[in-house]
Amino acid sequence: MRKLALLGVAAALYAGAAWSVAPGFYDGFGPPAPYNFTCPPPQAGANQKPSSGHADIPVTGGVSEAFSAFTDDGQIVIGFLPGAFLAGGKTTITVDITPLDTCPQPSGIRFVTNAYKITASAALNADKRANLTLRYSNLEPDPASVYQATDPNGTWTEMSSQPGAPFTIVTTTTTFGYFAAGYASSSPPPGAVTIGGGQLLPIIVAVLVVVVVLAGLPLAVMRRRRS
Amino acid sequence: MIAAVQARPALRAALVASLVLVLEWSRALVAAQPGFTVVALLLGGIALAAVAIGLPADRLGLGRSRLGLRLIGGCALGAVLLLPAAVRSVTAPLLPAGLAMAAIAVSIGEELAFRGALYAALEDAGGAPLAVLGTTLLWTLAHALSHPPEFLPAVAAAGLLLALWRWACRDLVAPIVGHAIADLAL
Repeated sequence: MRKLALLGVAAALYAGAAWSVAPGFYDGFGPPAPYNFTCPPPQAGANQKPSSGHADIPVTGGVSEAFSAFTDDGQIVIGFLPGAFLAGGKTTITVDITPLDTCPQPSGIRFVTNAYKITASAALNADKRANLTLRYSNLEPDPASVYQATDPNGTWTEMSSQPGAPFTIVTTTTTFGYFAAGYASSSPPPGAVTIGGGQLLPIIVAVLVVVVVLAGLPLAVMRRRRS
Repeated sequence: MIAAVQARPALRAALVASLVLVLEWSRALVAAQPGFTVVALLLGGIALAAVAIGLPADRLGLGRSRLGLRLIGGCALGAVLLLPAAVRSVTAPLLPAGLAMAAIAVSIGEELAFRGALYAALEDAGGAPLAVLGTTLLWTLAHALSHPPEFLPAVAAAGLLLALWRWACRDLVAPIVGHAIADLAL
């Protein structure tokens, strides 16, 4: 009984520790998610400098076309709907994405991606939000949110964000500035909690629990009868 | 020389601990190099498993008695290890075949080395408490080069859980099965 209790305590300890950092138990076997770091963590190995990006968005009849701007390494993508810009007589709108040479460390926030500066030659239409996707590495904990700032050394504001494709986080914006993904270092659970989100892992765990219950009970009964 | 080492359990435990740490750190450093990941994981897993060569199966916690219960225990451990990520609905893409093989090799190798050979050596040197705490500490240190510091408390807690199972059930089959399931799924 004492052994069982110790195992229970250890399982609870593990659950608490794993909950404090997404994804939890991780032995490093996920398909490598290569990432070009501005400030590579020690375990990153060989690292290349992150790329910048540029887009020229045509304006037809005073309405900017649907377009995406992205860096050459695909680590950040910003997508615009038709008429997303206040074109104001322009025939082309330019968008530039530049990774910062430094890694901002605002108080209470831990960034897991590079910080990027996005500028454009026209302002965004507040009714047509731009879709922003940031990719991150599996060498870092999963980010909880995208953050935005007008000055990288100033205040970073948390944006409403959600997980996208594996190793990406998505948000929308109506203004340009500086963007990076991370999590509040004072709050332990980074990662959105979405129970029953239709992913593979909950199914695996459910199958394991069913196997344990269905196969374990008859085995336990048989052992009890034998003894 | 070999007889002298075998006669001193503490010295044997220190040697096994050093060997396992060097193997794990070497594996982590080589695996970080582009193009060497799968090879480093596979060879690292085999090298770690080789640490247990020569030890009788019962000293390692292996055996076919109560095999059904051991396998179910492995499923239960796998479920516990994956539960936080499953609740969080982490997106976990399926592993390619090469990485899946490597994950299984490393899971088996790590369990044979840490909860098998190292556990047995530490148990001989200082009893079960030293074996449980010592394997947990070295398991955590071994992952220091391959994991960001934020992950290490979870690594330590997983090591403690697996070591306690090894002690409580005198079994290594369940930790191997649970570890492999968790590595394959995440």
